[in-house]
Amino acid sequence: MYSDLLHALPNVFALTNFAAVVIGVIAGIVVGAMPGLSATMAISVLVPFTFGLEPLVALGLMAGIYNGAMYGGAIPAVLLRIPGTPAAVATTFDGYPMAQKGQGGFALQVAVVSSSIGGIASAFALMLLAPPLSKVTLLFGPSEVFWVAVFGLASIIFLLGGNPVKGLISACFGVFVSVIGSDPIYGNDRFTFGQLEMLDGINIVILLVGLYALPPVIDLLETPLKTDGVNSSNLGTEPIWKALPRMKYWKTWIRGSLIGIWIGILPGAGGSMAAFMSYNEARRTSKHPETWGEGEPEGVAAAEVANNADTASALIPALTLGIPGTAVAAVMLGGLLVHGLQPGPMLFRDNPDIVFGFMWQFLFGAILLVLLGGSLATNSFARLLNLPRPLLGSVIIVLMLIGVYSIHGRMFDVYLMLGFGAIGWVMDRLKFPLPPVVLGLILGGFAEENLRLALRIGRGDPMILFQNTTSLILVALTIAVVVGPTLKKRFIDGRKEV
Amino acid sequence: MKKTLTALALALAATTALADYPEKPVEIIVGYSAGGGTDVMARTVAQFLEKELGDGASVVVKNMPGAGGQIGFTETSQAAPDGYTLGTFNLPAALALTYDRDADYDVSSFTYLANFVEDPNTITVAASSKFQTLDELIEAAKADPGAITLGLSSLGGNDHFGANMMAAASGAEFTLVPFKGASNARTAIMGGHVAAGTMTLGQTTSFPDELRVLAVLAEDRSPFRPDVPTAKELGYDVQMSSLRGIVAPAGLDAAVADKLRAALSAVNANPEFQAMMAEQGNPIAFVVGDDFAATAAKQNDVAAQIWAETPWK
Repeated sequence: MYSDLLHALPNVFALTNFAAVVIGVIAGIVVGAMPGLSATMAISVLVPFTFGLEPLVALGLMAGIYNGAMYGGAIPAVLLRIPGTPAAVATTFDGYPMAQKGQGGFALQVAVVSSSIGGIASAFALMLLAPPLSKVTLLFGPSEVFWVAVFGLASIIFLLGGNPVKGLISACFGVFVSVIGSDPIYGNDRFTFGQLEMLDGINIVILLVGLYALPPVIDLLETPLKTDGVNSSNLGTEPIWKALPRMKYWKTWIRGSLIGIWIGILPGAGGSMAAFMSYNEARRTSKHPETWGEGEPEGVAAAEVANNADTASALIPALTLGIPGTAVAAVMLGGLLVHGLQPGPMLFRDNPDIVFGFMWQFLFGAILLVLLGGSLATNSFARLLNLPRPLLGSVIIVLMLIGVYSIHGRMFDVYLMLGFGAIGWVMDRLKFPLPPVVLGLILGGFAEENLRLALRIGRGDPMILFQNTTSLILVALTIAVVVGPTLKKRFIDGRKEV
Repeated sequence: MKKTLTALALALAATTALADYPEKPVEIIVGYSAGGGTDVMARTVAQFLEKELGDGASVVVKNMPGAGGQIGFTETSQAAPDGYTLGTFNLPAALALTYDRDADYDVSSFTYLANFVEDPNTITVAASSKFQTLDELIEAAKADPGAITLGLSSLGGNDHFGANMMAAASGAEFTLVPFKGASNARTAIMGGHVAAGTMTLGQTTSFPDELRVLAVLAEDRSPFRPDVPTAKELGYDVQMSSLRGIVAPAGLDAAVADKLRAALSAVNANPEFQAMMAEQGNPIAFVVGDDFAATAAKQNDVAAQIWAETPWK
């Protein structure tokens, strides 16, 4: 198998194939940086056009876009507190405070280096460990996946912020939104009001754009007389080689990469959960957790390394089993099908040059990210933010409308997005935290579907949820995450009293 | 006199329409997103159909995903029957959902042009499963009713109907577990989380070492897997499959319909097309015109009967 890997390498360097990756990375950064346009959307728009392309050109474009967009999402997350993609939500926690302190340039550099490291780690996992890791995926049946979702939901506790009640209300709102649409087992309509467009549930991008992008844009437009740029020209940029020695986040990078890879091979959860979990873990183990959320560069590193570390690894179950780990991997699978590449072990035997070439393209895409992302984002792209506020706000609104419309090509989604925008604006004003809504939507549906499948398999007996080791480990982890901090606090307080 | 004139005018209009057809791009509506099996079939057919219609004809695929294909099927049924809007049609799914929810179309809302793909359902277990034959599986299901779980791609589709028909034919009772899509069901079978499944034969071909196909739910053995017996051979007369074809709205002008059917037949006869479909793993079962309409009617009856006996929601 490893000889196949080397054998596929020369072809990757064919001019068109390599150019495809470069173009893909640049396009991905741009798409990711635009609120409302996501990698999923860019690749699904691309898929029909790849019908006439050589497979490696098409796949190279997709690999580049995926890598680029996962970083590109960080740019508006840092500079405007608007995550460009769902996976960049956790990047806003510390990235935006850094930008406010005049360290926006450094935040973006941390983001691009971390993204690149995550992407490289993920590409190696895909290249070297795809078959064994796909066996791990097989271990996760409905009851195990249910516990993964519960574990993820438990981490919301850390995201509640200063006011747990408001945080829980936010999370419940997210879970409620996940209930909309046809139910996962019988297909009964829930809260669809007879609208066919709502049968498939609420697309995460629609919610994210409305909730996250509209309130800041309203803020931008509320002060039309001030015509200065957002953080003016003071991004605090220095050349990336000077900034590199200041990034000593090896522990966070390794931990975030492992978390990202692990989340990637599990079907369904995706980059945002990886970023949240990596951020939590990094903060939990930090020596100075109080600085987190106030502009801690390591927080940006934790989020960005993890959301890129699940890119290539999400393709492991996609290529070997046909079950994509993320929404982006799902559309990429479509791109493979267009070229007659059926997922499964046969794919590796029948088309090694293409499959392994694709993996190399992922690796090069991740490496190119530092070169292209470093200069593109910090030197030119971020300057867009020096536009006068009213102009910037209007541009973002147009992008939001285009992005949401293009998901399914219908106005209904645009109205839905504006509705969520109104809710988001109210929540923002009343200081309800937004991240729990996103996580609630992603994991709520995931938890429900798998719980119900598990119960069906167990013929209604809830004991099915505790019947194997994997499940029990996940239960223990969940308990540790929920109870751990309280116990630790009590233990420390107790010692103080003595 | 007036009547004859109108008839004459209509006939003339029809012939001119036919002579000029197509004078603008023909659209094929796909009710699923780009890159799915149905989409890939539509794009392949479109590519060859352009050549057959000749004269610089253009055939465009338009994806209208959502609601399990319903948005696309509805769009096709409500389009003008002028030959410029066609649609992909998935059986039994397209008609099954006219029973389990409110749909704005039914079996009579379409002009049936041609079916291209027929992928038979199977009874499949993991290669590591203790069940070596269909009889062993059914034996176990009878010994402890409900203990055998069957993974399906969804309720109200061919996987589900195949499972129901198998249960009825054998008198065994299965617990049906509807996953989100065929790949998830297949993974659960491979991981041992469910005992067996009814996925189509096409879904099994990429996993020869991981899956064991116990029976094919078809009239005859599949040329792709001549080693696998049919359920009928084993004493259970069950046939179920997933079909994909091309339809137009009801009321399509007969001359245009004939021209399209002839063009689609020519597409099917093209060896290049056959090769491309085979590469995509699509078993071709070309059925044209009235025969396709009859197949649809039969599938409609099956769905109606299963819905009446064991409604799934």
